[in-house]
Order: sequence, then structure tokens, then C-alpha cells
Amino acid sequence: MFRALGVLLACSLAAQRRDELRNPVDGSPEAIEAGRKLYVNSCSGCHGANAEGGRGPRLHSSRFVRNAGDERLFDSLKSGIKGSDMPATPLPDDQIWRILAFVRSLNASAYETPVAGDAAAGGQLFESAGCRNCHQIAGKGGVLGPDLTNLGLTRSVASIRESILKPNERWTEGHRGVTVIFRDGGKLEGVARNNTNYALQVLDARGALHHVDKAQVEELAWSRKSLMPEDYQTRLGRQGLNDLIAFLSRQAGRAPAPKEEAR
Amino acid sequence: MRLFLVALAATVAVWGQVSYEQIRNGMGAEWLTYAGDYSGKRHSPLKQITVANANQLAAKWVYHMEVGRRLECVPLVHDGVMYVTNSNEVHALDARTGRRIWMFKDEQVKGSRVNRGAAVLGERVYFVTTDAHLVALNRRTGALIWSKQYADPAKGYFGSAAPLAVKNRLIVGVGGGDSGMRGFVAALSAETGDELWKTYTIPARGEPGSETWDEKVIDWGGGGTWLSGTFDPELNLLYWTTGNPWPDFYGGDRKGDNLYSDSVLALDATTGKMKWHFQFTPHDVWDWDAQAWPVLIEMPWEGKPRKVLLHANRNGFFYVIDRVTGEFLRATPYVDKLTWARGVDPKGRPIVVPGQVPSPAGTKICPAVRGASNWMSPSFNPETGLLHVPVLEQCDIYTSSAKDPQPMKGFAGTGGEQIPAEPGKFYMRALDPKTGKRIWEYPMTGPVTMWAGTVSTAGGVLFFGDDDGQLVAVESKTGRHLWHFQMGQMLTASPITWELDGRQYVTIAAQTDVFTFGLHEAQRSIPVVREREK
Repeated sequence: MFRALGVLLACSLAAQRRDELRNPVDGSPEAIEAGRKLYVNSCSGCHGANAEGGRGPRLHSSRFVRNAGDERLFDSLKSGIKGSDMPATPLPDDQIWRILAFVRSLNASAYETPVAGDAAAGGQLFESAGCRNCHQIAGKGGVLGPDLTNLGLTRSVASIRESILKPNERWTEGHRGVTVIFRDGGKLEGVARNNTNYALQVLDARGALHHVDKAQVEELAWSRKSLMPEDYQTRLGRQGLNDLIAFLSRQAGRAPAPKEEAR
Repeated sequence: MRLFLVALAATVAVWGQVSYEQIRNGMGAEWLTYAGDYSGKRHSPLKQITVANANQLAAKWVYHMEVGRRLECVPLVHDGVMYVTNSNEVHALDARTGRRIWMFKDEQVKGSRVNRGAAVLGERVYFVTTDAHLVALNRRTGALIWSKQYADPAKGYFGSAAPLAVKNRLIVGVGGGDSGMRGFVAALSAETGDELWKTYTIPARGEPGSETWDEKVIDWGGGGTWLSGTFDPELNLLYWTTGNPWPDFYGGDRKGDNLYSDSVLALDATTGKMKWHFQFTPHDVWDWDAQAWPVLIEMPWEGKPRKVLLHANRNGFFYVIDRVTGEFLRATPYVDKLTWARGVDPKGRPIVVPGQVPSPAGTKICPAVRGASNWMSPSFNPETGLLHVPVLEQCDIYTSSAKDPQPMKGFAGTGGEQIPAEPGKFYMRALDPKTGKRIWEYPMTGPVTMWAGTVSTAGGVLFFGDDDGQLVAVESKTGRHLWHFQMGQMLTASPITWELDGRQYVTIAAQTDVFTFGLHEAQRSIPVVREREK
């Protein structure tokens, strides 16, 4: 298979002009798997075993990777990045393309990525596990957690999985829990949508938005952890987790286009 | 996980919905719809800022759009929250501080065009994307409720106008008329986004009005609807303006008046049925879309009160039309540089000067392609009885080409070019609808590039953006300068005014930033708040 892939690669590369470089093996499951192995050997030392970043930047769920063209990414690997620690690689071009196929797969939207779970079962879990208490889909649900209506199109599978299993890995802007103690003894709890030394905007569990004048505030107590529970791995089990991820991966906010009348 | 609201002390909670009746009641402290109210007067009853104290206005906050390119939005203000739009984005800001509460960005959209604003109704905020989806968001969190496509970009359409919330529906329009498409106005359910009615601005073959077209381009005749309209709740009529016929500058393949391009349409808000139309520029070959506000006022006409529609058209004439029947009442030139027509006949039809059309070699014609005015908002002050209009005095060299028109390929039949030695000049002019006469004017001195409009106030102060990047305040009655502020950016949006906590503010979007002003107040010292983790 690899030999056949190599011949294909050589032919297509020869046919491409320099300014039109496209990854000839993009999306190929074999290339992605081969790229994963190459990545572990050559890239994980700096970018992390799961592409979570380290000395080098995170490569999964990366806006940079999603927005960069194939040629730019190829050049970054082939020649390194001047002024950074990213070195040039001695790997042959076909292996660079395979690594890029793997990195791209980490950044594909969940909606476009085949997943193992049962989306219908995951939908039932979404309700029974209490997800909707904090998250909305299509306008229904709680308001303290991020909206999930368009999740499948905006996040990768890896990112969704991380959010469920490691909710404290990174904060989602506007969703950190806070308790506001006022000078007059009053108290307000919710998530901080914004905060400066002079004003704070808090969304409470009922969905009311509070504009807080800091001159009235005695103390802010910030949640050390996300409001999202950390035990979904054990609560859901492997199958349940896959089902939930399958369900969430299907969440796309855009309805199909209506058919235009014939003209 | 279980969070409770323990106390509401010292906070301002946001709960109130926006109802149709609230918008219908007219402008108050808030700015609830694109034009401030359904009439399009853009006249606020607020009068804390007056002719006497406007010189004490000061900047209160600036909100920077990270990827703002050319903001054309008119912000909305409700319950202490300001909603501003960028291309495919809505930002909800704390109106007191300018800090962002939430931001929604539709990353699935291919393409990025300007966006002119949002609508609020009930618990939702609505806006359109470049690829013509109407998007419904939870107004308190920015959560996506639905996104429904109402026009197909593959057929030349794009979205840019602020939707107009009327009763239980959103009225939307489309752009794309400069490259061939078939314009329409549509009403979509506020609950589901489903289409309730759709009225095309270009008749289908065989329909009434199709006799004003050649067969060659009627299917792609243009007539864009890229600016929101106004609404008379008593008559239940929408007033929506339409864009140029296509190809813009070459009329050889579309002989006839090309209905209903360059018109104002009176549409029944319930059914979409066209009650009447008035075409300002029949057989347009100058690209003079009729996209300027149809301002709805009542005024005496020949001794009797009459419901009229005011409209300062790109073609250089200021129209007064009976908005009940569509009867033409009067048109008067509001620019000095007007060469294409000698006037209008008793029915309102322009009397075109022979030879004042685009030609292969180029013809000098006034007004310019940008028009004597354009979509930048005028305003009407009922107390002075004056309409304030941003006006451009300019001529262009118009050229045409008979190339075979291919829709959606960017072909417009060529266009108009500025004359290097005659750069033109912008003015703010006050027109008297009773006579059509110019009462005062305020000249601008900038590089003759801007798309900023006006807002009028009961304090007797008129605010407008000029072509030097300045927000300017003048006395409504006389045009006398009161105050200005340099924003350092070209202005492409219209200002609004609103009130919160007993203070009147003025807001305008510039290229990449939203600026808010109010009367100067000394600041209090705010102690640093103790913070800890729990």
C-alpha cells in the first residue's frame, strides 16, 4: 500500500505547479495512520503526544492549522520556521504530506469526521446525564455552559472529547463561575461574561444578565474549576462516551438550503 | 453545579422582551430597530443633550472589532445591552462600559460582505449572513437557535441588510443586483425562520410588468433589496426600495422601463402583495439604486393633512409621495450638479436630457454613480419640519459596453469614473418637504468618501458623520456647528442616540470601532476589588 501511495504521490506532485501545492493524500485513512506514526517519532517531542502542544504550539483544534493552506504547512515542515524553534525536517516529501494528513485530521470538524458511537443513543444520554441543564441546543436548555447548537461544525472530535473528559484543561471565555459579594452584604452567583476593574457582567442560572458596578463590590470569588463535572469518563463508560460524542458531532446549526423554485 | 441567585443588590438585571408593540410605539430611550422606529424619521425624543451643552460631549468608550473591516451597522440598544454587527458576526456589548458580553460568529459562511445591523424581537436577536441565512440567537447568551437560508448564493444573492421585525415576522432583502439576480423581499417567521411570503421585484415572464423588459435579461434583472424598509402599522404597509436593473450601465438588452427596479414598493406586511409602486428612474443606465430611506411623515398638502413618504433619491430629485395611494406629489432637485434630466413631468417621470447616458467613449453626467445621496440615513425633525440629507455634489464620466451580459460574472456594462479635476464635495443639507427648498447646508472638507448618515434629537441637535472621520453635532434649526470628534477612520454607518440610567448617549460605528459619547462627568474613584478562588 505504501509503495502504491508513493508512486501516486510522485506522479501527482510532478503534475502540480509550485503555487498550487495541495496535499495529494489529504483525507486518506492510510496516510493519516502513517502520518500519526511519523508524527509520534518526529513531532511529538515538541508538539505533544496528542498534539496538545508543549514547546511547540498545539496542533489539534488549531485555528492556525485550519486556516493555513497546504503549501504553507508543507513549507513550515520542510524548511522550518525562521525565528522559532521549529527546525527543517530531513524527511522526504511524501512523508511530510502524510504527517500533514494526520495533523489535518486532528482539525477536521467533528461533523465531517466518522465517529464510532451511536448518535441516537448519545442524544438520550445528553438528556439523562443532565447535559441540557447547563447547555443549550437549538434554543433549549440551560445558559451557564457554552451553546452546543453548532458544535459539530466548529470543533473537532478531539476537542469535544477533551472538553468532556478534561473540562479544566482550558477555560471557555465567558463561562467561569463567580460569586459576587456586594458591599451591602448581597450576593450574586453565575458565570462572568466579562470582567474589568470597573465593571462585571454576570449571567445567572435563570438566564438573567446582571451589569455589576465594581464600586458596589466587596469581593469576587472565582470557581477554581469549571462548572462541568470531571467524572464523565466513569459515569458514561467508553460506549456511552462514544455515543455522546457521536451525538454532539452531529450538532450543526444550519438547516439544509431550501429548494429554489424553477425559473 | 447548582447555582442560585442569592441577591440582586447593586446590579441591573436584564429581563424585558422586545415586543412588536414596543417598536410600534416609536422611539423612546432605546434604539430597537434599524431606523429607530418604523417611520424612518430617526428623530429621538431625548433632549438631555441640547444646543447649549452639546459642546461638553466627551467619549465614553470605544469598542474595537478585532476583524472589523468596514462597519456599516446601526447598533441596537435594549435593556442596557448594545447589539452591533460585523460581517457574519453579532457582538453584544454592555452599553454602560462597551465591554463585550458575548459574540456570535458564523464560521461556516463562505464570503464576507458588509452587514448593516440586527433586529431584536422577543428574547431573540436576528441578523443575516453574507450567504443569505437569517440567524436567530438568544439575546442574553448569543446561543444559536436556528439558521435558515432564505436565498441561494449560487443564484447571485447575498445578505447584508438589517432584518426588519414586524409583528411575528422578519422582513429580509437581498443584494447582488449589480451582477445579475432577481431581487425579492421576503417575510420569514420569527419563530421558525420559515418563509411566509416572497415578493419578487422583477416580474416573471408573462406577469404584469414583464412587458417593460427584453427577454434577454429579465430572468436576471436585478432590483436588489439590500436596505431595510420602513413600515406604517395603520396601513399595514411596508415601504421597500429596490436597486438598479442589470446590466447597470448598458440598457440595450433591456429596452423599456424595467419595472420594478429603482422603485419604492408598498407591500402588504401580511401577504406581501404589492399595493402600489413608484419608479424614480425608469430604464436606469446610471446605477441609481433607490436605496435611500422612505421617511414616513404626516404633513399638510394643499390645505389637508396627508400621509406622505419623503425620499431623496440618488438621481438628484427629492420626492414627496402620497404613501396611501402612491400618488406622486412633487419632486425638486436637491443638488446643483444635475444634468441628466430637465425635471420631472406631472406624473413624476424624469424628463431625460438627450445624450446624457453612458457611452463607449464616456459621457460626463451629474449626479455621480454614488448618487446625490445614497443609503446613508437621512432624518426628519418634526419640530423644525426639516429633512436632513447627506448630499454629494459630483459628476462622473459614465461609459457603457454592449458586451453580451453573463449573469454572476461581475459584468455591469462598465460604469462611472470620478473626474480627477472635479473631486466633488459632500454637504449636510436641510430640506423643507413643504416646499422642496434647501433651508441650510453644512459643507464637508474631507476626501469625499463616506457613507455616514444622521440622527435628529428633540434637544435641537443633529448628529452626523462627515467625510473627514468626524462625528459632528450641529443645531437642527440652522446647521450651526456645536461639537465634533475625530475618530480617525472613514465613516460608513449612521449614528444613534439612546438613554440609560438617566444619561443620553450617542453612538456611531466607524471602520473598525464603535464609539459612544455622552456629556462629560467627572469619574469616581473605584477601589480595586478583592478576588480569591473558591
